[in-house]
Amino acid sequence: MTVAGLPTRRVESYHYTDLKTLLRVVPPLAKAASQASAPALRVAGAFQLMIANGAIQSSTAAPAGVIVGHAKGSVLSKRDDVLVHLNGAFAKDCLTLTLEGNVDPVIQIDHCTEGDAAHVVDSLKIFVADNASAVILETFSGSDTAHIGNHASYLALGKNAIVTHIMVNLSAKATTHFATNEYALVAGAKLRTLTIHAGAALSRSQVFARFAGEGAHADFTGLNLVEDGQHNDITIDIRHGAAHTTSQEMYKQIARGRSKAVFQGKIVVERDAQKVDAKMMMQGLMLSDQAEIFSKPELEIYADDVVCGHGSTCGKLDEDSIFYLMSRGISKVEAEIMLVRGFIAEVLDPIEGEALNEALNSVVDGWLQGV
Amino acid sequence: MADYDHIPMLKENIDRATVDSVLSLDVDKYKYGFETDIESDMAPKGLSEDTIRFISAKKNEPEWMLEWRLEAYKRFLTLTEPTWAKVHYPQIDLQDMYYYAAPKSTPAPTSLDEVDPALLAMYDKLGIPLKEREILAGVERPNVAVDAVIDSVSVVTTFREELAKVGIIFCSISEAIREYPKMIKKYLSSVVPVSDNYYATLNSAVFTDGSFVYIPKGVRCPMELSTYFRINEKKTGQFERTLIIAEADSYVSYLEGCTAPMRAESQLHAAVVELVAMENAEIKYSTVQNWYPGDKDGKGGIYNFVTKRGDCRGANSKISWTQVETGSAITWKYPSCILRGDRSRGEFYSIAISNGYQQVDSGTKMIHLGKNTSSRIISKGIAAGFSDNTYRGQVSAHARAKNARNFTQCDSLLIGDKCGAHTVPYIEGRNGSVIFEHEATTSKISDDQMFYCQQRGLNEEEAVALIVNGFVRDVLQHLPMEFMVETQKLIAISLEGSVG
Amino acid sequence: MSSLPEINVIELLELGVVRIHNRKPGGSASIELKRPPPPASNSGSRLDVIEGRAPDKPMAATPERADKMTAPILEIRNLHARIEEREILKGVNLIIPPGKVHAIMGRNGSGKSTLSYVLAGKEDYEITEGEVLLNGQNLLEMDPSERAAAGLFQAFQYPIEIPGVATMTFLKAAMNAQRKARGEVEMSTPDFMRAVKIAGTDLQIDTGMLKRPLNVGFSGGEKKRAEVLQMALLQPKMCILDETDSGLDIDALQVVSKSINALRSVGRSMLMITHYQRLLNHIVPDVVHVFSDGKIVESGDKDLALQLEAKGYADFDGAAA
Ligand SMILES: Nc1ncnc2c1ncn2[C@@H]1O[C@H](COP(=O)(O)OP(=O)(O)OP(=O)(O)O)[C@@H](O)[C@H]1O
Ligand SMILES: [Mg+2]
Repeated sequence: MTVAGLPTRRVESYHYTDLKTLLRVVPPLAKAASQASAPALRVAGAFQLMIANGAIQSSTAAPAGVIVGHAKGSVLSKRDDVLVHLNGAFAKDCLTLTLEGNVDPVIQIDHCTEGDAAHVVDSLKIFVADNASAVILETFSGSDTAHIGNHASYLALGKNAIVTHIMVNLSAKATTHFATNEYALVAGAKLRTLTIHAGAALSRSQVFARFAGEGAHADFTGLNLVEDGQHNDITIDIRHGAAHTTSQEMYKQIARGRSKAVFQGKIVVERDAQKVDAKMMMQGLMLSDQAEIFSKPELEIYADDVVCGHGSTCGKLDEDSIFYLMSRGISKVEAEIMLVRGFIAEVLDPIEGEALNEALNSVVDGWLQGV
Repeated sequence: MADYDHIPMLKENIDRATVDSVLSLDVDKYKYGFETDIESDMAPKGLSEDTIRFISAKKNEPEWMLEWRLEAYKRFLTLTEPTWAKVHYPQIDLQDMYYYAAPKSTPAPTSLDEVDPALLAMYDKLGIPLKEREILAGVERPNVAVDAVIDSVSVVTTFREELAKVGIIFCSISEAIREYPKMIKKYLSSVVPVSDNYYATLNSAVFTDGSFVYIPKGVRCPMELSTYFRINEKKTGQFERTLIIAEADSYVSYLEGCTAPMRAESQLHAAVVELVAMENAEIKYSTVQNWYPGDKDGKGGIYNFVTKRGDCRGANSKISWTQVETGSAITWKYPSCILRGDRSRGEFYSIAISNGYQQVDSGTKMIHLGKNTSSRIISKGIAAGFSDNTYRGQVSAHARAKNARNFTQCDSLLIGDKCGAHTVPYIEGRNGSVIFEHEATTSKISDDQMFYCQQRGLNEEEAVALIVNGFVRDVLQHLPMEFMVETQKLIAISLEGSVG
Repeated sequence: MSSLPEINVIELLELGVVRIHNRKPGGSASIELKRPPPPASNSGSRLDVIEGRAPDKPMAATPERADKMTAPILEIRNLHARIEEREILKGVNLIIPPGKVHAIMGRNGSGKSTLSYVLAGKEDYEITEGEVLLNGQNLLEMDPSERAAAGLFQAFQYPIEIPGVATMTFLKAAMNAQRKARGEVEMSTPDFMRAVKIAGTDLQIDTGMLKRPLNVGFSGGEKKRAEVLQMALLQPKMCILDETDSGLDIDALQVVSKSINALRSVGRSMLMITHYQRLLNHIVPDVVHVFSDGKIVESGDKDLALQLEAKGYADFDGAAA
């Protein structure tokens, strides 16, 4: 394939991630992986599904309420977006999960990209039945060559379903990681998402969500950790298409070394979606002089009886806080780490389950080693 | 040395004259939409080299200026209209437009009989006496220096002598091109390059008039400078060009008020304003824009595509934009600051009200280049009727802009469920020492507030006007006195018919 | 000053019969003899003297002298500090022997908090002259955490809020960091919890509060109490309490004073900055200093505070000018 059709910065949604310049080479489509790999994270008691180079490689026994299946075709709704197009064009087979009742163990899906540089395209469709609940964790990792991963998932929440969906990007340093998550929420559904970027040279994660039923609520959260040489982009598009729906978006970006962190977040309230309450926050933390943080929080509001807002801040660690901690005997490095953890806590703390929380904290710990 | 004796007298009069004369110049007649009976001297219809030569000849411009315009025109032919703004309008036919119209004589006296009674009523509400004619005739001197532009040509410039005493130059841009070519060559397009954007390039080719202000080193301009623009001829695009230079340690406050008569056809307006502030200089630029927004079905109205930019060139300089946008069918306008000098400061205070089928896409750009620069943005958007009101703003600190700071507060108010309010900020920190804070909210007037006001005896419309005035208070207080009174009334008028 | 050999000042201080005035620009002091102070109410020690202003020049720290007297915990000599080009401290001289409680009173903006920040090592200040010794160690060479490990503690006038960091986590980290720096073993969690519980009970701090992020949403009085809690846990040698009484209600003032008094010991000195004589009724100081325009202009016993309360600072205005 050619890269001729890739978006430049003139395409609004790729304003800070000019794929035409950033993506110079696209490797051939991946072949089946020859070796089994270890998952990037371990969560005690989780139901594990390993997807290597786009195909299911292994799985533990499915717990009650989880039906694993396959389907053909694209999982994402059509939209004018290059990653969506590419995923639709190349994804051959998609994994489907149907979840019923209260699924107790964490459903962990590990995407591994193995071997020589390859273009991996996979997709996942999850149906969560009415009144069902589940916690889904997806990880991304693999060998350190110039892979491009283009992952897609579609998650439909039934009435009053409660879902936590976590995406942890631990892709190796040389890789490019793209992920598109689409969410559909009907009446009473409750969703929490968490995207953690702590890998790849270039990452972009896209969230497209639409509230179609009254009383649905979602918390969209994310942690964009970038370090030397990385360019990570989180772009979300949240549409309130029904009255009395609420959402909160909380994204934290931390940049160190010569790196770029990008957040674009759009909240749309459609014409008749009255009584919507939607608040978005992006907080950026610069840990080095060459760090760059970009933020474009957008509101597009067509209904009048709403309470919507967004905030965006950017700065370095607070000197006075560092001084306070140091005046209590804590060393500068420790004080800084403590403050960074404090900064992150808001998005990690709401994730329930000790094993899961610990696993996520270990991702942050790993990243913080370098501070 | 300059003679300052007259200044206190002038100052005093400025305050008193606020409502009397200044307002009459601005809001009144154009709200009525009558046409001043001035016989025009029109350029050939359409955009061409010939039109540009005609304009340049009419203005007695030197050869280099014509060359400059033609160069811009060549450039323009290579550009396409931008589409990123959230505005929709039919294709503008640049060939179906006149680019120059000059009055042959002074305006003939007009009477109120010529005025549309519907607009008369509105005029009454504003409570503004009609004195413009006298002012223009020099009978009554307004206490604000006015460089009045009627259809592209500066007709009257007052107070020039007083200003000249302190070395300030305040004249039309055409005159400046003839009289001060050195300065024009040095500063024109030094802030907004000729090829900056589609509309700015068009303006560079065909601009017909505007103001030129030069404040010498160390001078505090003793009065508010003011220009009133009118668009008076049918199908005339107005392309003003304003250039303000504040030398080191100087200060100037500039007021721009705009009104336009009723029109059936849409009219294009593409102005360029350039400000240059040298070391320790401060420029305060205030605008009230209430051009014809189109009729209740969204027909007609001004298309306002403006490029306004200030360059804080010197250390410690400051540029402050304050705008009240209530008019025009389409507004595309981003008064910006380039914070080049160390410790320079940019401010943007905006009220944008849209009603009917108006579309506003406005905001600012704060480009931090120098060290320890700071900027502040307060934007209040009010959308009513079927309108769309977008705040679009960019705050960017470059790699060398150490310790850049920005604070942005951007609030939108929706009145009715057929309008839209949108916020699109671009926040770009390109070094690790920036401190940016941005906050935006969107809400409607709460039922509690309405109830409270109504309970105190206000009708619905009055209550809305009162609440909206409270909503925009943070911006209002940055307006010069002259505009504050007017603006409050303007808000009420702009929102008429938005409730009930 | 030239008439008084440097070493003698200390000896006079030891004898407890000097009162120091500093009325000349440039910071040189005149010393006059005064009646011996009444015995301090909280202890009958012979060391209850009026210490005060030390000479501008460093003393020769001869071993002989160190033997002869109890070495001071804190010695501040001719300390000058500025912030953003503005000189705030204009020659502070202060000596605090072990176990002593000194109080500093002075007008708003006279530089009291600046002094405490400079001692704690806040970076914003530029020290242009002078020296500070803590237990004979050069304090100014240490970073804030080293100062803390060396035994300095500052209870801040405005304790900062740190979102996301649970108070408990912070307390434990601080305690163990100091222990580590001193080469001591880390405290076990049960021991730590016990210590927190005891100190918390004394200060009537609800332990639920300690699960919340540090100082976030604490009331003014709660913040001050949390500061004293930290002091109780960290067991510093030199405590600087910057307006710890302000923001406390009447009962809380009693509670907090009790905790602070309990912490008074032979090995621990305190410097209390306050505006109110009321606090000094609860925690009776050994010495009271008047701070004006960046330096100490008057020192005396606790009665000086009463005098200030009655007459205000007018008497001392211009003292330093
Ligand atoms: N960052 C700063 N920049 C400039 N001046 C400062 C700064 N911090 C403190 N100051 C000034 O230093 C002076 C001393 O302040 P300080 O806080 O030490 O006074 P204080 O004696 O503690 O007053 P209070 O009794 O009100 O607590 C004040 O005039 C204050 O404005
Ligand atoms: Mg203080």
